[in-house]
Amino acid sequence: MLVQEFQELKKNYEQKSQKINGMNLEEMQTVWSEMSDQLENQKKLTNKLIMEMTREKYRTKIDKIFNYEFIGAIICFIAAIFLIVNFQKLDTWHLMACGIFVISYLFIIPLLVLNSIKKMRRINLLKNSYKQTLIAYVKSRNHFLFMQRLGIFSNFLLLLVSLPVIVKFSDNVDILSTQSTNWYWYLLILILFLILFSRWGYKGYKSMTTSAENILRELED
Amino acid sequence: MKPKAAAFTKIIKQNEGVIYKITRIYTNTEDDQKDLYQEIVYQLWKSFDSFRGDAKVSTWMYRIALNTALYHSKREKKKGYKVSLDNIVLQEENYDPVFEDRLKLVYAKIKILNDLEKGIMVLFLEGKKHEEIALIMGISKTNVGTRISRIKEKLRTEITKN
Repeated sequence: MLVQEFQELKKNYEQKSQKINGMNLEEMQTVWSEMSDQLENQKKLTNKLIMEMTREKYRTKIDKIFNYEFIGAIICFIAAIFLIVNFQKLDTWHLMACGIFVISYLFIIPLLVLNSIKKMRRINLLKNSYKQTLIAYVKSRNHFLFMQRLGIFSNFLLLLVSLPVIVKFSDNVDILSTQSTNWYWYLLILILFLILFSRWGYKGYKSMTTSAENILRELED
Repeated sequence: MKPKAAAFTKIIKQNEGVIYKITRIYTNTEDDQKDLYQEIVYQLWKSFDSFRGDAKVSTWMYRIALNTALYHSKREKKKGYKVSLDNIVLQEENYDPVFEDRLKLVYAKIKILNDLEKGIMVLFLEGKKHEEIALIMGISKTNVGTRISRIKEKLRTEITKN
């Protein structure tokens, strides 16, 4: 008797699973519409709660990133202004070249990064169509990723170029004119890190942008 | 209550089920769903002035709700003001077990679709005509037809795999 009941249960279950797995779009529509009817009969929201929900919006992760980057940018600008004010201390052409590079870097990179974040925040959810929102999001995210990686990558260059400037300001020594072995070690370690990091950064960036490109291609179809 | 607020709450109440279904599709946990629900209501309120008279209520509502759901689902949220989650009581899905199984499957099937297909699918299941889907999604009417056929094919392939 038990075996018979079990067999029946098993048969029922298999029939049900078959029906579920075999659900097509039309059947999905039926289920959806049945659910919609049931939801329609439940009204839970009150006027007070709806108006409370309209009060403020979330601070998103993007807002937080923007704030960090903004503080970073201010620090960079202060450092750049300090260099400009004390530029006369850089008394050889190669120190001056390093100084100009560092000043330009401290102004340009933070502005580029802030701009790319602003682009992400500027997506208009109220006017855009769904497709435009999706495209805008994928493009701005791609741009931000590129800028972020470019920023990190160029920081190595900054480390390299800023060292002679920093040493000149702190110890009044031109390390580019002295035959110091420390300088070569510093250079070697930096290049080693640069190679390792670029390989890792490029791989990560490539896989993220490939998936973004696929989405864009799909949207253009 | 001011006339604007009264008109707004009336529309939200009439469509709370619609917002519920969209939030259900684009989130995986109840807390996320409530967060998204609030965000959609907030965005609808923000655009309420520009909407009036411009388009059909449903087109406006679906457009904002889907855009917000799409954008929100791609971002992590950080703390800020929000209505206490306990205060938001969303609809309850207490169905009979067989129907619940089928409904879960519907949700699971929608979630395997890509972002664009997901949006089209929600509107299709909501019984929207191709013209309105095209308007909300920002693609042509013909493209809507093509996409729906592709979705059907994708679901069929999925069935075969299972």
